[in-house]
Amino acid sequence: MDGRVTISGLEKVYGQGAERTKAIEDLNFEVDGGEFVSVVGPSGCGKSTLLYLIAGFLDATEGTISVDGDPINGPGTDRGVVFQDYALFPWRTVYENVTYGLEEDGVPKDERQNIAQKYIDMVDLDGFEDKYPKELSGGMKQRVGIARTLAYEPKILLMDEPFGALDQPLRESLQDQLLDIWSDLGKTALFITHDVEEAVYLSERVLIMTRHPGTKKTVAEIDLDRSGSREEIVTSDDFAHFKNDVWKSLHEETQTEVTL
Amino acid sequence: MDVTADASRGLDLSRLVEFGKSVYSLVILLVLWEVVGQLGLIHYYFLPPLSDILIRFAELTLSGEMLFNAYLTLQRALIGLAIASVLGVIVGVLSARNDIVDWFFDPIIKIGYPVPIISLIPVFMLWFGIGDISKIIMVAVGTFWPVAVNARESTRQVETNLIWSAQMMGTSDRRLLWRVVMPAALPGILTGFQIAMPLSLIITFVFEMVAGGGGLGALEIQGVRSFESAQVYAAIIAIMLIGIGLDRILRFVRGRLLHWT
Ligand SMILES: Nc1ncnc2c1ncn2[C@@H]1O[C@H](COP(=O)(O)OP(=O)(O)O)[C@@H](O)[C@H]1O
Ligand SMILES: [Mg+2]
Repeated sequence: MDGRVTISGLEKVYGQGAERTKAIEDLNFEVDGGEFVSVVGPSGCGKSTLLYLIAGFLDATEGTISVDGDPINGPGTDRGVVFQDYALFPWRTVYENVTYGLEEDGVPKDERQNIAQKYIDMVDLDGFEDKYPKELSGGMKQRVGIARTLAYEPKILLMDEPFGALDQPLRESLQDQLLDIWSDLGKTALFITHDVEEAVYLSERVLIMTRHPGTKKTVAEIDLDRSGSREEIVTSDDFAHFKNDVWKSLHEETQTEVTL
Repeated sequence: MDVTADASRGLDLSRLVEFGKSVYSLVILLVLWEVVGQLGLIHYYFLPPLSDILIRFAELTLSGEMLFNAYLTLQRALIGLAIASVLGVIVGVLSARNDIVDWFFDPIIKIGYPVPIISLIPVFMLWFGIGDISKIIMVAVGTFWPVAVNARESTRQVETNLIWSAQMMGTSDRRLLWRVVMPAALPGILTGFQIAMPLSLIITFVFEMVAGGGGLGALEIQGVRSFESAQVYAAIIAIMLIGIGLDRILRFVRGRLLHWT
């Protein structure tokens, strides 16, 4: 399947001289096409940096990132980011936000309309097409953010704590919507979170990063039976077991930080 | 039907009362002004009664003199402001987006912005004379700074995430300016215009007082020189009305353009 991300020897240094910070150090990792991978790690370990490097917003100091074998060179429409703070265009309505990428791609108007409507319906926002972002709640804004990114059909979804600012019931419903969308559309998903339960619930694998400067600590395979309901899944022994594994591994990193 | 008509009239009346309440201190002052003038408590030359000023204002308006002078002042101020708006936005936005442009303009803005621009009127008279062109250039130079500074500041503050969002959806660097930077910076750019507008009137008005050539400033100073104090105040009322009118228009345009904020 398309949408394989290969990261090799990745290093990112911010600033120069006294302000020099190494955010990521010698990171090697691969996300398969169509796979759902979460990234967890102590705060400040370079998760957002990693995501923005893959998005092509930032340039790597060392190493390469390839999509399906081709090294990336700046941002591209094969990758789509969902930002934690939504980053919607406030001067555009919901509809206009969702069609932005299609406009840039030169898709004709009536086709834009069809595609936009499909994704607006998918995230349950029909009826809100003509609202401006300021008129929406956080959860609705994030659903617009997701629809906007899905609409121009990137192969790879990059999400930076997209539900971090939302309350628990809303998070859970958006998580389930995201899983449905992911399995329907067959995209590669890289999902950053600080919530271990969220990581385990969503992903096939969890990448656990070391504390600053960040690199790969371990990768947890989450081999869960996902055929049941949310309740069945999160109350299962397997779920508890995977959650413990990830939590322990993550905790080691935060512990070291405290004792230092 | 009668009932509803009455009701709506009642509503209008109460609105009028509300409005009256909101400006009652002003009304008291105006009445006081009239009384003081009529009783001759202040010499006519310093402050004629309000009614005399309004009559003079009406006379000047009916004779066409007021409208012609207002037209001259408005024309100079608005052409100068338009030139400054175009150049100020271009320089401000580009220097926020481009290090080389900023390297060039930053020192110029740092020095130019704080200069009390009125003090340069004699220099402009030396260089460009006392005609329309000189006044328009003066207004353009004077109002350029607030436009450029506000455009630069608001462009700098455009969130990186918005620019990244556009880039990931396929916006090229060249189109980024129109698609994202300008709309995102628009509130600040409009604020610059709103600051520059009264400044354009002040500069024109003062230049006209100093150099003549018609316009409301010239009308006012001519009133002083011919001991016509009513004309002095009539000119002030005219420039006030223009200032308020332009401010209203800018606010309306702002509300229209920024209904999304
Ligand atoms: N623009 C930047 N300039 C300098 N340092 C930065 C910048 N962005 C992030 N950093 C630093 O890089 C490290 C990783 O940051 P980040 O990727 O945001 O971590 P995380 O998302 O895991 O919390 C931190 O030490 C942070 O201070
Ligand atoms: Mg982060």
